[in-house]
Amino acid sequence: MVTLYRPGDGWMHRAPAGPKATVLLAVVLAVSFLPSTWWAAGVAAAVAVLGYLICGLGLRELGRQVLAVRWVIVITLGGQLIFLDAEPAVANTARVLAAILLAGMLVLTTRVAALLDAFERGLRPFERLGVDAQRIALLLAVTINTVPVLARLATGVREAQRARGARAGIVGFVVPFLVVSLKHADDLGDALTARGVR
Amino acid sequence: MTARSPEGAALERTIRLDSATVRLGDTLALDDVTVAIDASRVAVVGANGSGKSTFARLLAGLVSPTSGSVRVHGLDPTRQAAQLRKLVSMVFSNPDAQIIMPTVAEDAAFSLRSERLPHAESAERVAEALDRFGLTELADRAAHDLSGGQKQLLALCGAFIRRPQLVIADEPTAYLDARNARRVAEHLFEDAGHRLVLLTHDLRLAERCDLAVLFDAGRIAAVGAPSDVIAEYEASLRW
Repeated sequence: MVTLYRPGDGWMHRAPAGPKATVLLAVVLAVSFLPSTWWAAGVAAAVAVLGYLICGLGLRELGRQVLAVRWVIVITLGGQLIFLDAEPAVANTARVLAAILLAGMLVLTTRVAALLDAFERGLRPFERLGVDAQRIALLLAVTINTVPVLARLATGVREAQRARGARAGIVGFVVPFLVVSLKHADDLGDALTARGVR
Repeated sequence: MTARSPEGAALERTIRLDSATVRLGDTLALDDVTVAIDASRVAVVGANGSGKSTFARLLAGLVSPTSGSVRVHGLDPTRQAAQLRKLVSMVFSNPDAQIIMPTVAEDAAFSLRSERLPHAESAERVAEALDRFGLTELADRAAHDLSGGQKQLLALCGAFIRRPQLVIADEPTAYLDARNARRVAEHLFEDAGHRLVLLTHDLRLAERCDLAVLFDAGRIAAVGAPSDVIAEYEASLRW
């Protein structure tokens, strides 16, 4: 698994993270409030496609992102088709999908370090209320970066079990996975401290 | 080489433990250790579980002594942790646990966050450090996708970018092949104005240091010239 960021030098990549996040949030909200009709589904899809084309990510990247959330589409659409007509089910799914894809544009075009700075700046006014902006921004960065590590640890646990002839099972997997994850959290804590984080 | 505080004041450059004991749960990890070390390159050797890593973590302020006292360049790692962290960098054996940020350049830059440098200066320091460790071409790569050797070079980059006066390296070559182990060792031993405390099972690396310390069962079994200490360690390994 790799970082979500795609290197590039288009205007979207160059735009400052804070205003970019604010504008994308506004667009995501606008798409979310569209009505559940066929034309709204078309508008949601068109906004997502236009967004990827205008910011230079392209249709290929859009396709990759849609593929990555295929199960969200299946579950959202399938679940709604049980209770709703086709029109609202498709429109709702299109709105959810467009919102995910548009939000994805932020992480695809913004380095985590820049996001970290933007979040820190955005949260700074709340420091008077006791919010530790630096810590929350760091938590965000560490969370994003821990996903591939946990995936690797999970693979390691499964391989170790297979190598020792153990049968695949959720209980047999969860306990060692928790142990290695907690060990990793400990090591990461030491690494953060050693690199000057309070 | 004179150790200096981040404010520029000259510091005592001795590592001094006085009856330092560390108890981790039921385990006596360090047992009444007293030592004063002035050498620039210090090798710490001993069997697994002998207390080497606890000694290193004590110097870096990652654990506190249960009793006794510790001074690193005149600073108490527990009470003056913030000052100490400006002087000391630590490199661990597992490179995966040292990656904090997604890409190589971002991870190197992360070490400078606490210094709150102007953006241009930070970018210059990152470019310089990536170049020094041969990582410039990999700047935009996902750090977790690097090879083990590249990850450890990135860990060194993250440690050295802070321009530390003391580098503590806990078995930094343990996970590496011979070529990468050699590259990492060359960076650790190059004269960059830092002092080195190197925990290692590679006795050839220990021999390159000015002083060696042998740990056994949480106590210091020998301190002296690396050749003498290594000879004593090897003698203790004979069945």
